[in-house]
Amino acid sequence: MANLVLENITKSFGLVEVIPSINLEITDGEFVVFVGPSGCGKSTLLRLIAGLEDASSGDIRIDGESVINVPAADRGVAMVFQSYALYPHMTVRENLSFGLENIRMPKGEIEQRVSKAAALLQIEQLLERRPKQLSGGQRQRVAIGRAITRDPKIFLFDEPLSNLDAELRVLMRVEITSLHQRLGNTMIYVTHDQIEAMTMADKIVVLRGGRIEQVGAPLELYNKPLNTFVAGFIGSPRMNFVQTKVVENSEAGITLSGEGLPNLTLPVQGLPLPAGAAATLGIRPEHLVPSADGWPLKVTLAEQHGASSYLHCMTPNGTPILVHEPGQSRLRSGDILHVSPAAGEWHLFDEEGLRVEPSGP
Amino acid sequence: MSASLRIARATGAVASLPARAIEPLMAGLQKAIGIKKMPWFFLLPNLLAVILFSLLPVFVNIFYSFTGSDRLYPSQRPFIGTYNYETLLDCGNYLDPSTCSRDLFWRALGNSLVFVPTQVAAMIGIALLTAICLNGNIRGRGFFRGVFFFPVMLSPVVVALTWQWILQRTGVLNGILTNLGFEPVNWLVYANSAFFWSVFVTVWAHMGFYTIILLAGLQAIPRDVYEAAKMDSASHWRAFTRITLPLLKPVLLVVFILAVIRSVQTFDELYVLTGGGPGSATLLMVQYIYEIGFAVQPRNFGLAAAASLLLGIVLLIFTLVQLRISRGSSNG
Repeated sequence: MANLVLENITKSFGLVEVIPSINLEITDGEFVVFVGPSGCGKSTLLRLIAGLEDASSGDIRIDGESVINVPAADRGVAMVFQSYALYPHMTVRENLSFGLENIRMPKGEIEQRVSKAAALLQIEQLLERRPKQLSGGQRQRVAIGRAITRDPKIFLFDEPLSNLDAELRVLMRVEITSLHQRLGNTMIYVTHDQIEAMTMADKIVVLRGGRIEQVGAPLELYNKPLNTFVAGFIGSPRMNFVQTKVVENSEAGITLSGEGLPNLTLPVQGLPLPAGAAATLGIRPEHLVPSADGWPLKVTLAEQHGASSYLHCMTPNGTPILVHEPGQSRLRSGDILHVSPAAGEWHLFDEEGLRVEPSGP
Repeated sequence: MSASLRIARATGAVASLPARAIEPLMAGLQKAIGIKKMPWFFLLPNLLAVILFSLLPVFVNIFYSFTGSDRLYPSQRPFIGTYNYETLLDCGNYLDPSTCSRDLFWRALGNSLVFVPTQVAAMIGIALLTAICLNGNIRGRGFFRGVFFFPVMLSPVVVALTWQWILQRTGVLNGILTNLGFEPVNWLVYANSAFFWSVFVTVWAHMGFYTIILLAGLQAIPRDVYEAAKMDSASHWRAFTRITLPLLKPVLLVVFILAVIRSVQTFDELYVLTGGGPGSATLLMVQYIYEIGFAVQPRNFGLAAAASLLLGIVLLIFTLVQLRISRGSSNG
């Protein structure tokens, strides 16, 4: 059980600055997911917390105590690697007990911890096997088991599901979440898959270029993304963006034009966008609803998922727009569809891509 | 048709000419001997080479070991049964070579029995240590890899002459020692120091080869396994004994077998460096076989053949034991 504080953490490899500066607080028992595209520094950040990389500057505190100079093994953290990193020449039992033997734990206690972890993960029948003889999912469990036996304050997961097939991934996602509920430890989980982030996290940290773009609960990020990057990254399929210009901003609301589409008036007051300013309108596919006087979009492809349909459309200017339709759509490629954003379900971003909210009450 | 396309077609036609010429021949052959025998046809060139240069000499060797006289042609050599073997094995006391009728054989065998384990242990130990150092993040890694591998590319005679130049009475080493105020030592005149330098020079000459193999083995061990061990509180020593050594075992086994075979075969470097001396202090089996077979008059081909067969049997037993061990480890 532990809380974790990152204070002005920076990391450079030679001249390349990977993490410019990160401040983050993770409270006891939280399930935190670091998410971002490849190369955003999420794995590096995790390795800094683990102690596998040394920070260039800044401080890491676990339960109030600085661990920046503490070796990886003594930080009270355990890591599950993307490749599992099981010891190939040891049996599952030896894999689980190796770390405990290294700290000269009495044999009886080692056995007790190994069988407890094995029971928790249902790998008791695999204890005498070698990693080579296990399936991907079983290896994953052993890797998690190895972390559990160490009884760490904080669990670190580095993209642990990326080597599993889609079906198993969903299963393991549920298992890791329920494991968190049973153990109650602080867990930090790195992934590039925003669905994993949305479904598992108490708190999501969105990273890009070594910087934190936004921190918050999954639905907070979904409902109020702070910028176009987060808006585009969180939510699947991704949000539609339409480049617009403000025509009029008055008591009646804000009127936008763009992409060869008819002007759109959103009934909201007090947005700090003067007439003539550029603005990006973001609308999720599920928030575009049919309306007779809405935007005319040409369907280029109708994807039938059975329970719902995704219509790949095009504005008159050629900007692709994705529309979600509940149920099975009758529309075909080439048809024209009229849609407008559902009431209140849109996001406006200024020229820099930052979210614009009405000022004042 | 464009010019470039025409050229391409023309060159293609020329390139496939030999193939087109040979195809009817191959098809005819396959019809004649059947498709199942075709692999033998392709193996034939290599099989002939192996039979001519490896298998045949073995049988000739066996034949020579049971015949006498110094004649070269088999038809002129009288059959003498196991006389050569009896001569070699004729000993009053096997622990004391001077009581044997062929005392040099026993001295050479004794020398080899000390030389091979010492040299192989030193070779693998030093090569492994070097490989581990080169595997780390050190400056000029590529340079050092080249430096350690360089002696492997030298001719054995060059190696021996270089070290003779260093070790002789008026050599480089004694020059340095004298300058530092020490007495010069006649390194190759005393039995023990000559033996030490024999081991040293052969290790120096061949170490690079084994270092490269071990280095490749070390690099095949995934980095994240070491990171997991680091998270698992493993000290450097424990990571070495519990992770590196077990994962390197297959490579170590290969290196071990190669090093032993190479060590038993040691001849050229020592023949030039010490000539087997002083006395018979650095005389090894292969040199003994060479000397009684070709250097000493009258040439005793039969005895040399018998000695080489005895050596072959020892190596065969050793290899079988090795295979046993390696199978055991891959199963376990």
